[in-house]
Amino acid sequence: GLLLVALLVSHMLLIKEGVTSLPICPKGSVNCQLSLEELFDRAVKVSHYIHFVSSEMLYEFAEHYAQGRDFIAKAVNSCHTASLTTPEDKEQAQQIHHEDLLNLILGILRSWNDPLIHLASEVQTIKEAPETILWKAVEIEEQNKRLLEGMEKIVGRVHSGEVENDIHTPWDGLPSLQLADEDSRLSAFYNLLHCFHRDSHKIDNYLKVLKCRLIHDNNC
Amino acid sequence: MRQRFISAVQIILQLALTTVGLTGQSYPGKPQIIRCRSLEKETFSCWWKPGSDGGLPNNYTLFYSKDSGGEWSYIQLQLVTSGVLKGSVLGSVLFNTFIGDLDERTERSLSQFADDTKLGRIQPDAPVNLSLATNTSANVSYLWAKWCPPPLADASFNSHVYHYELRLKPEEKEEWETVSVGMQTHYEVTSLQAGVKYVVQVRCMLDLGEWSEWSSERSIQIPKERLPPEKPRIIKCRSPEKETFTCWWKPALDGGLSTNHTLLYSKEGEEKVYECPDYKTAGPNSCYFDKKHTSFWTIYNITVRATNEMGSNVSDPHYVDVTYIVQPDPPVNITLELKKSIKRNPYLVLTWSPPPLADVRSGWLTLEYELRLKPEEGEEWETIFVGQQTQCKMFSLNPGKRYIVQIHCKPDHHGLWSEWSPEMYIEIPTDFRVKDLVVWIIVGVLSSLICLIMSWIMIMKGYRMMAFILPPVPGPKIKGIDTHLLETGKSEELLSALGCHGFPPTSDCEELLIEYLEVEDSEDQQLMPSHDTPSKNTKIILKETDSDSGRGSCDSPSLLPVKCRESRGFPSTLQTQDVRAKEKKGGKGSWETQCTAPEQKTLPCNSESIKSCTWLAAQLPSNQAAMFAYHSTVEAFKITLNTTNVNTSPVLVGNEENRQSLYPIAETGYDDVEKISEMEYSRTDQITVQVRQNQHNDKSPFLNPKLMDYVEVHKVRQDKEPTLLLKHKESSGKTKKCTVPGTSKEYTKVSTVVDHHILVLLPDQRTQNTPVSQEPVAETSQNPQQTQAEKNTSYSTTAPSDSRRDTSGSDYMDPSSFMPCFK
Repeated sequence: GLLLVALLVSHMLLIKEGVTSLPICPKGSVNCQLSLEELFDRAVKVSHYIHFVSSEMLYEFAEHYAQGRDFIAKAVNSCHTASLTTPEDKEQAQQIHHEDLLNLILGILRSWNDPLIHLASEVQTIKEAPETILWKAVEIEEQNKRLLEGMEKIVGRVHSGEVENDIHTPWDGLPSLQLADEDSRLSAFYNLLHCFHRDSHKIDNYLKVLKCRLIHDNNC
Repeated sequence: MRQRFISAVQIILQLALTTVGLTGQSYPGKPQIIRCRSLEKETFSCWWKPGSDGGLPNNYTLFYSKDSGGEWSYIQLQLVTSGVLKGSVLGSVLFNTFIGDLDERTERSLSQFADDTKLGRIQPDAPVNLSLATNTSANVSYLWAKWCPPPLADASFNSHVYHYELRLKPEEKEEWETVSVGMQTHYEVTSLQAGVKYVVQVRCMLDLGEWSEWSSERSIQIPKERLPPEKPRIIKCRSPEKETFTCWWKPALDGGLSTNHTLLYSKEGEEKVYECPDYKTAGPNSCYFDKKHTSFWTIYNITVRATNEMGSNVSDPHYVDVTYIVQPDPPVNITLELKKSIKRNPYLVLTWSPPPLADVRSGWLTLEYELRLKPEEGEEWETIFVGQQTQCKMFSLNPGKRYIVQIHCKPDHHGLWSEWSPEMYIEIPTDFRVKDLVVWIIVGVLSSLICLIMSWIMIMKGYRMMAFILPPVPGPKIKGIDTHLLETGKSEELLSALGCHGFPPTSDCEELLIEYLEVEDSEDQQLMPSHDTPSKNTKIILKETDSDSGRGSCDSPSLLPVKCRESRGFPSTLQTQDVRAKEKKGGKGSWETQCTAPEQKTLPCNSESIKSCTWLAAQLPSNQAAMFAYHSTVEAFKITLNTTNVNTSPVLVGNEENRQSLYPIAETGYDDVEKISEMEYSRTDQITVQVRQNQHNDKSPFLNPKLMDYVEVHKVRQDKEPTLLLKHKESSGKTKKCTVPGTSKEYTKVSTVVDHHILVLLPDQRTQNTPVSQEPVAETSQNPQQTQAEKNTSYSTTAPSDSRRDTSGSDYMDPSSFMPCFK
């Protein structure tokens, strides 16, 4: 367990470094603009990383708190982003217009802004929460914001018309994270983590599809 | 009862054949007990073969004893005529009845006894009347078996208690299942397979006796069950390409009834329950979800229901998000290529393609790869994660080993590793360097061969070849030190030699240096007739001596071109001259007689003045004179070789000699040039050359110089060593004489000649390297003292600068100024 965590942290640090240490613009350059490819590269790296961390966090949480609790059965049908209609298979992902898909990604990311902020704060209240979970909650929140920025940049570059800025679904799950009942509370946390885990994977998958479609002409 | 039985086991049987003794009858043949057996504890049966009866009716009596040492009891058997008899089943009660009769007859009969036989263990007959029946109660089938104990001849013994064993098997199977029944004559078998036909047998055993044979087979069909199926179980779900997926389940036990399985699923967010869209595509007990039925980021709730006539049973629900169950097929098109690098070991390049089903191009599925390899005989795999690449280079593989390589792949983030690809083998060749080595060895052998041939050619062609190919290495600059000097070990010599090269050099040393350096020239010339060495020496001269006069002369355009032309032109003539020399050598024999005569004549010349000698020589025919000169010089050299330690080879000297002798013939006119060139080239024998030059100068007005040359050389050569000093003195004296009548031009020539003489003197001593030569050195040093008054004499040897002032600078510097032209 300890070894796994150590590996995980080192891996994350590596990835993080790879993500954060890239200079946006070389010094002294005027009118510097990253190419779309570079933007996508970065976005995919960040999204990959976010999903990786969220996976680890979900498994870690389940490892600690899922014993005797049927989290998965309860987690069904309960994601607040479910109202966003997103492609559910390869065909749908390929058929949807890339601008719509980009908007969907933006929508999902925005929908997670609030919940992740609350998650990062509320996860501190969980009894005996492992340090790694706390750390990951913060990390996810930060990286999600970063990805949102990047995606806005990409959307701004790709979009021909006006950018729809208000696609997002509200989240009303804060009370469930503050429930007095430990089981319900943990279940609510698990549910949130499970939903983010799914959505982060969606975003990562969509971004990889978009990158192959827009940059490599479907020939990755 | 029990004790009796045990003793019965130990019964020893003896069969006696008794024959009624009639007149003159022989003994009957020996009977043989084949087998005795007791079916229970009371009786036994024996079978025997009668012996020959001699045609008479025989009586048999069976004797038995309960112990080996016990009393014999006997049983009188009925009269039998022939054939195999089955003994009667006899009870113990019966034994007594015959005893009386036997006593009467034994005396009157001849008898023959069979061998002792022990009664075997009791083995009953197999049970009989086996009957089977089945019964089903509470959905469980039973098999009911009944049988009877083995029948005995005497019904009164049926009170015996047997142990029974029952065995059964499904009709089609080979293996029996044996059950110990006990003493009952019935048994109930449970846990039978429904709908199977069973075969049953029984056997029995009496106490510790042997088991009877198995009874005859009986078989019965067990009816099929009528139960609802058990719970089926979903084994796994897998998506090979992240587009479709398949689920497999383990069917429930059907209990002989036909059972249907249906897969039902519901998707997250939908209430509706669907049935599996495709049971066939993925084989039995599976459900295939095509693209239309496959959604991602959605949890499927899957259950399998097993149904038969009696009812149905539903598996536990299986929750699946297809996103997380992607397990691709193994990578394909794996190629292993061995690349050779020049400096390092060969390395392996692996390439592969993603599995054909996986659509990695669209970005929908991203695969990561991992490969593993090990030497064929190795135990542990080395696993390498390569990420999304589809190729990999493997370095540092052990040469000479056969490797097994496999690759598998996995989607990024989630999913499972594919199966490993089929094993690929690659043989790493044994060291490439060995091959290189072989190549190098071949190259080495070839090159050494070439070298051998070259050196052979060089030896054949002589040293000129070598000189041509390999320019001569300049000799050591400190020429004053001579190994021979060191060996002879005269300290004054050494000191004088060394002293000249002290630092900073003194003026005296400079003078000496010049002398020695010029001497070097002569030595070098001896060894290498090429014109490179002089140039180096001249350099030294230019540096170390005061060069005011020397340079002037060297730079003077009047002399240089001529000299250079001469020197450059010379090597070509040299070769032709060689040829001539050879020709002459060949023809030497014919001239030998002629040669002797002049030699005799010339001998006295040494003691007399050279002038007279030359005159004598001049009288000879020109051709002959030339020949003599040539011949004599060769001979003279031979003499010097014998008497002195000259290191030079005769070939070289010979060449030099040839050159000297022939040169004048080849040349016409140009006395000055001739002189210079000769000075340069004729260093082998400085004395002779100098002498000759003297003669040139002396006799140029009077005689043909060519003729004179040879005569002179000849003479000098003859008595080189003993009269060395004398000659010089004479020559100096002579030159004086000669110079007086000569013109100014002639005078300069003469002076140089003198210089050369003296210069030559020292080198001559050195070249000879004989102990004798030491004396001349001392003499030369004395020379200046003796002849200080004379300007052009040996004084100039020790102080050339002085002599140069007196004589024309150009003349003195002739040799030095001449040398740079060889560059």
